[in-house]
Amino acid sequence: MKTLALAVSLALAAGVAHAQTIKIAGFGAKSGVVRSFGINSEAAMLAAADNINKSGGVKLADGSKAKIEVEFLDDRCDAAEGISVIRRIAGTNAVVAVGPTCSNVAEPLFGILQKKVGDAGDSGLQMPVFTDVAIKVGLAKISEWAFRNVPNEMTMYNSLFYWLHTRHPELKSVYGGVEEDFAHSRATWYVVMKPRAEASGFDVVGNTKWLLADTNFATQVREMKKANADIVAVSAHPFSTCGVLKEMQRQGVKPKLLVGLTSSSSLETLQGCAKQAEGIIIPTSFAPINKEAIFAAKTTAKFKGAADLHSMAAWENMFILKNVMESEGLSGKPGDLQSDRRKIRDGLAKLKTTNGLIGVTKRDAEGEADKPYVFVHAKKGEWKVLHNPL
Amino acid sequence: MLDFFQTLSDGVLFGATYALIGIGFTLVFGVMHKINMAYAAASVGGAYAGLLVLKVMAGAPAWLVFLGAFVAGGLLGWMVYVACFHFIPLSSPLATLMSTVGMLLLIDEVIVHVTAGMPQGYPAMFDDVMLRAGEFSMRGDLLLVFGVSVLAMVGLLLLLYRTRLGLATRAVSQQPVAAQLCGIRLVRVNALTFVVTGLLGGLAGALIGASVGTLSPLLTVPLTVKGLIVTVIGGLGSIPGAIVAGLLVGGFENVLQLYRGVTERDLYVMLLLFAFLVFRPGGIFTAKGGRD
Repeated sequence: MKTLALAVSLALAAGVAHAQTIKIAGFGAKSGVVRSFGINSEAAMLAAADNINKSGGVKLADGSKAKIEVEFLDDRCDAAEGISVIRRIAGTNAVVAVGPTCSNVAEPLFGILQKKVGDAGDSGLQMPVFTDVAIKVGLAKISEWAFRNVPNEMTMYNSLFYWLHTRHPELKSVYGGVEEDFAHSRATWYVVMKPRAEASGFDVVGNTKWLLADTNFATQVREMKKANADIVAVSAHPFSTCGVLKEMQRQGVKPKLLVGLTSSSSLETLQGCAKQAEGIIIPTSFAPINKEAIFAAKTTAKFKGAADLHSMAAWENMFILKNVMESEGLSGKPGDLQSDRRKIRDGLAKLKTTNGLIGVTKRDAEGEADKPYVFVHAKKGEWKVLHNPL
Repeated sequence: MLDFFQTLSDGVLFGATYALIGIGFTLVFGVMHKINMAYAAASVGGAYAGLLVLKVMAGAPAWLVFLGAFVAGGLLGWMVYVACFHFIPLSSPLATLMSTVGMLLLIDEVIVHVTAGMPQGYPAMFDDVMLRAGEFSMRGDLLLVFGVSVLAMVGLLLLLYRTRLGLATRAVSQQPVAAQLCGIRLVRVNALTFVVTGLLGGLAGALIGASVGTLSPLLTVPLTVKGLIVTVIGGLGSIPGAIVAGLLVGGFENVLQLYRGVTERDLYVMLLLFAFLVFRPGGIFTAKGGRD
């Protein structure tokens, strides 16, 4: 009898322990042209979840602990697919979604969320979305259910061009190379890099364009050569950045300085064209400059991902969400799913600061982040910190 | 004017990469009257496999990597035949088409999983060679690709018209039943066709990776599209047509890019394809067809 009672109570305990999981859904581009971003984000989320679970998990409102479960879905960097994915996520027991990768997905996706919380006349999706990668300026204000932990490129490039102008007063002109068919790279040149360079006193003498999957850059680099600018700013992702840099080498185009896009401060660039990228300067919100950052990078590598400013934002998101869940007192019960989602949303909205891997991140009322950053440059096949404004 | 000629020259030379891919598509169609949609993906896959040479022998010369890609391409070509054609009824055109589309996606995903989507630097030959005449210049590595395309064409034509395998291949493409009745083994001929195109495809993938400087799974779909365009414009089944069409498409798109910008470039390439489909549906190297 005693044995039976012990067996029954053990079975019940096991059943209860098994039920204590909180699901966080990730989504991003795991296929298509920018698949490496999705692969890295997933790895970072899994690594963070593993780390949190090994430390005991998330504390729920009733004092019990729950493990975090991560499921990552592929939106193929496609807007329609992204909307389908978020609707699918909303139909599961996930309490929050982390993603997407692409700004061309984020913008329409935020548009289907409820615009104002509590608006009974708005039938938009009531699902908190906490973005790690999609970086195009000013998207979170589309919905009060949307939050982002992405660097503020306006601040970073403003600081970078000002610093370059101060440090190198002999450099006068800037020429742009723009990846025209990708929302992020396109917006970053026209809305961020070009005006910030001009505001810092540089003369922007022109720009040339190419597409994300282009393989022949001869015409564009010839235009660049003719412009003969002191600084060439390449607003493009790693594949086409490497293509352009290799063509520049062939044609003997050697500007005094190279500036790159935030997303190109990654392992992908170094694997594709370390030699040609030597010296390129990029502002980034992640570099392994302290113990926490190094640990996050190493842990993510165990899950077959690379650490860069995007994937490490996913890592940060997981720990921010853990803190929000604990401070807001998540129930974790299936019947309280929607109220738990609301708690997470409200918790994220209340945040004024969060702890990032390289410093404190400020948050604003629109759900955007003002992340600390450093300037890195490619040196002998590695990203090294060139200047730390922190 | 110099800009125009330089741009045209750059485009024509780069078009040699399209020609190499087009040759593979057109050869399979010429023999089996089927489109192998997985050809460009297998070519890129062969090129990736060629990089294994560097894993075994660090610092190996580029030609050895190309040789590895050549051999790997042949193996992949045979695998595509077995998986997508051997067990599928050839009388159903849609079945083989869809199976090769599936194979294209599979190869793409395998590459992504093995490489985590990271582009890989690719060794090149003559990439530091620029032939200059004043302001005018021509890339040495693209001249190599052009040379290989011409050699491939000559080699394939010799194979088709001077060897028993070529005789058998032509017999199968014209009258498969009669060829079988004459003792020609259909399965063997088809498999060998895929191996030959695969060998060429592996080399093409390596040369394309070398000319771009970086190998990436991003290349598979654009090369497939360009290869198909070149095949149609050149004439389905025409090897010389594939070469001429490749150079034409390369030159055309580059010149249009110079004058109309990169955002309109592909639009004009598609219009060129459309014009051929309407006014010369058989392509450059077939007789002018009438409209239905």
